[in-house]
Amino acid sequence: MPDRSQSGTVNRRHFLAAVGGAAAGGAATLPSPGDAATALAAEAAEARDPRALHTVTLTVNGQDHRLSLDARASLLDTLRDRLGLTGTKKGCDHGQCGACTVLVDGRRELSCLRLAVMAQGHQVTTIEGLAPAPDTLHPMQQAFIDQDAFQCGYCTPGQILSAVACVKEGHAGDDDQIREYMSGNVCRCAAYPNIIAAIRQAKTEMEA
Amino acid sequence: MGAPVARIDGRLKVTGQARYPADTPLHNLAHAVMVTSTIARGRIRSLDTTAAAAVPGVLLVLTRDRAQGQLTAPKFGTGGSTSIQPLNEERIWHDGQMLAIVVAETQEAAQEAADLVAVTYDHDTPSAGFDTSGVEIVAGAGASPMYPEDPKAGDFDTAFKAAPVVLDATYNTAAQHHNPMELFSTTAEWNNGRLTVYEPSQFVAGWRAQLAKQLDMDAANIRVVSEYIGGAFGSKGPMTPRTAAVALAAKLVQRPVRCVCTRAQGYTTATFRAETRQRIRMGAGRDGKIRAFSHEGWELTSRPDDYVVGGTETTARLYAYGAVHTKVQLVKADRNTPGYMRSPPETPYVFGLECAMDEMAEKLGLDPVEFRRVNDTQADPVSGKRYTSRSLMRCYDEAAAAFGWQRRLDAGVWKTGAMRDGDWLVGLGCATAVYPTQVAPCAARVRLTADGKALVQTAAHEIGTGVRTVAAQTAAQALGLSVEDVTVEMGDSALPAGPVAGGSVSTASVCSAVLKACGGIRDKLYRAATINSGPPATPESFTLRDGMAVLDSGRSAPLSALFQKLGTTQLEDYAEFAPEGSAPGAVEQLRQGNPGIMGGAKGPVLMYAFGAEFVEVRVHARTGEIRVPRMVGAFAAGRIMNPRTARSQLLGGMIWGLGAALHEMTEIDPRRARTVNRDLQDYLVPVNADVEGVEVILVPETDTEVNPAGVKGLGELGNVGTSSAIASAIYHATGRRLRDIPMRLDKLLQLQQT
Repeated sequence: MPDRSQSGTVNRRHFLAAVGGAAAGGAATLPSPGDAATALAAEAAEARDPRALHTVTLTVNGQDHRLSLDARASLLDTLRDRLGLTGTKKGCDHGQCGACTVLVDGRRELSCLRLAVMAQGHQVTTIEGLAPAPDTLHPMQQAFIDQDAFQCGYCTPGQILSAVACVKEGHAGDDDQIREYMSGNVCRCAAYPNIIAAIRQAKTEMEA
Repeated sequence: MGAPVARIDGRLKVTGQARYPADTPLHNLAHAVMVTSTIARGRIRSLDTTAAAAVPGVLLVLTRDRAQGQLTAPKFGTGGSTSIQPLNEERIWHDGQMLAIVVAETQEAAQEAADLVAVTYDHDTPSAGFDTSGVEIVAGAGASPMYPEDPKAGDFDTAFKAAPVVLDATYNTAAQHHNPMELFSTTAEWNNGRLTVYEPSQFVAGWRAQLAKQLDMDAANIRVVSEYIGGAFGSKGPMTPRTAAVALAAKLVQRPVRCVCTRAQGYTTATFRAETRQRIRMGAGRDGKIRAFSHEGWELTSRPDDYVVGGTETTARLYAYGAVHTKVQLVKADRNTPGYMRSPPETPYVFGLECAMDEMAEKLGLDPVEFRRVNDTQADPVSGKRYTSRSLMRCYDEAAAAFGWQRRLDAGVWKTGAMRDGDWLVGLGCATAVYPTQVAPCAARVRLTADGKALVQTAAHEIGTGVRTVAAQTAAQALGLSVEDVTVEMGDSALPAGPVAGGSVSTASVCSAVLKACGGIRDKLYRAATINSGPPATPESFTLRDGMAVLDSGRSAPLSALFQKLGTTQLEDYAEFAPEGSAPGAVEQLRQGNPGIMGGAKGPVLMYAFGAEFVEVRVHARTGEIRVPRMVGAFAAGRIMNPRTARSQLLGGMIWGLGAALHEMTEIDPRRARTVNRDLQDYLVPVNADVEGVEVILVPETDTEVNPAGVKGLGELGNVGTSSAIASAIYHATGRRLRDIPMRLDKLLQLQQT
């Protein structure tokens, strides 16, 4: 095995910085970046400095936030470090564990794999914004408590958002289907059977 | 106590409000990224930080030069994961060794700069593990205070030679990494010479003591906070050298600093489960009684540190063997130091033993359940000491009935490949689960206020076990309150000293301390209740129930009235619990970082929890794919404080066993001693689709000897034995004995070809 960079892995941020101004190129080649991101990409190419900050408006849990962002900042880090929404967790930063799952326009996405600047113009929902009103719980949150569908609780926000999307997608037809469509969210405490039970419970309520 | 109460911190966890250490909001926080080595053995020739330091926003590149003289090397085995402080070292001891910490204004700048630190090395050829040259082999006995000697009894050689039925087999268990979902991280903040560290930890009292030594400070000026822990499994027990290094970085930049390790860095800068190789020899009579048992183990450890797995401590005592011989040897290679991982000794060694039990049962033509029954014992074959309680065969009987073991007996117990379902070969197997019952010193403070609310404080750790909830249940019952009226504070070294969240000691230790503190409050209330109350009542008849103090039948008073009598609005009691047989000053020792764990085989009686696990496997006849559609485990672990959280722990444990059996293995490049699969894509852990039916049976058991709470602990019981049950079922399905875990389809295909 050849020597690689320090951590032994090719790093997203380093890659973008190293290719110089190619934050734009990187973003443009990713699937479905959206119009706003394409505009940003053009702006970034002009700036030529990969470290240049970009002013964007992120809509998170229905609230607009105007931020000056490093093009290399992930949506995950931005939610946690800039907006103080630490309910979204970092479990791998590589799209392998699902702990950072958020809803983008209602679809489940891994916030570690999305650059924050690409989230402009989209509706982002985090665990903090899932409940219909303050001091209430979404049926999925209540079901996770009722079924003891977590132990340490670290993967839980991602599991819950993924589970909500799983039901809405129509992928909670039976236990086997739920298992398959929830397998992108790793739970090392292995609360899986209880997660299945929670999704079954919440599905009934969500569809009522 | 004993009620299936929902977790009291559940709402915080499902709303994202539970604050894990890396979530701590701090003003003016700087971000740190670690730089790690790309070779496993050699020396640093040059470490050039010029380009890194030039990145805008970089505040510090902490290397050996900058750290010089400011970090005392840790001590291995006293809460430290290794004896090496890498920032003091020129030598590279293992792959992915910490070389530098880059601190910057933003995560992006820190990462960019970390990638620009240029390192050159003088390379040495490393030894990767068991089958590479250059390893050093040393005796396990005496290498660690945890493993003073190899258990032995009688004359094994003679008994083995004379036995009519013998087995001699070798088993291998893989290196594994805990991979808790929460990444390792350290956040350090200084305030007028006082240090606060926010880090996921299983032992805040011990870490404070460790930091005091490594930073040459008074422990009174250090606080370690770990309110919620995103999974640990042993990985956050011993403190790693990064913690003191990040604290130093924060001191140098005069700002709070947070360093979140990458998933890959977690594989090499923390501990892991060492791979083992085991040879088991067993001799039995035709009556099925074992007459001779030998268990030899080889375990991987690092060059500088002698970590001992030592599972022979448990396997030597599990059955009525007759003569017993054991021997543990350490194989020292150029790897990071291994450490505790969920049931550290039992998981690998009981795999070997229980596989051997299955093979021996076949040689004897016995039902594997009956073979265990014939060799069941209520006393240690090595020392003769009795078990305080041992419900092993009850577990077997309950699990066998629920599982439908009779199906295998009906099909002919040793007729392999007999239960085919289309292309799927079906097999049923079973094995024993066992884990020592341990307990540790613990202090707790309980405050009861006149409005009927209680606060429980102890520096124990909620790693997902549910200990916060059972502590609330314990106080609620003792003080006659509802669980909702109890608040529990844990995970902060400023609280009364709590035990390490290891060795499955938390529930027993914490509940014993909380009961004691509640007892102190009760005594004060009893005295208040008996003032001017007519004929004397006995303390025994005095109970606290539903917010009332009941003096005896007929006389009761609301709590508020007793508080009024006492002329106070709150009562507080601080209690120190030390297990029977502890040395004097055990709680003070705990504050100094000595966990003081007692129990298992260490005392005058043996304390163990038992279980029996049954599994069904399906092996695809053409592809060799292995599925586990069903697992049933029955466990007897003394008093169950909360069946809901207990079930979840055992369920998770059994799925851990499934992962160990079929998925998990850290792959080490044999030429370069580097970790190959250091992420969650290539290191396989069970996902939802891998798990189907899992059933947990809690077998009632009362044991008043183990500790005042009567609790045996079960966080580490569930994953012991599972992988041997699966091996046994694979054999039943296919007629092929797999003796190495993980058991993947390539091994079945290899066997098919031979």
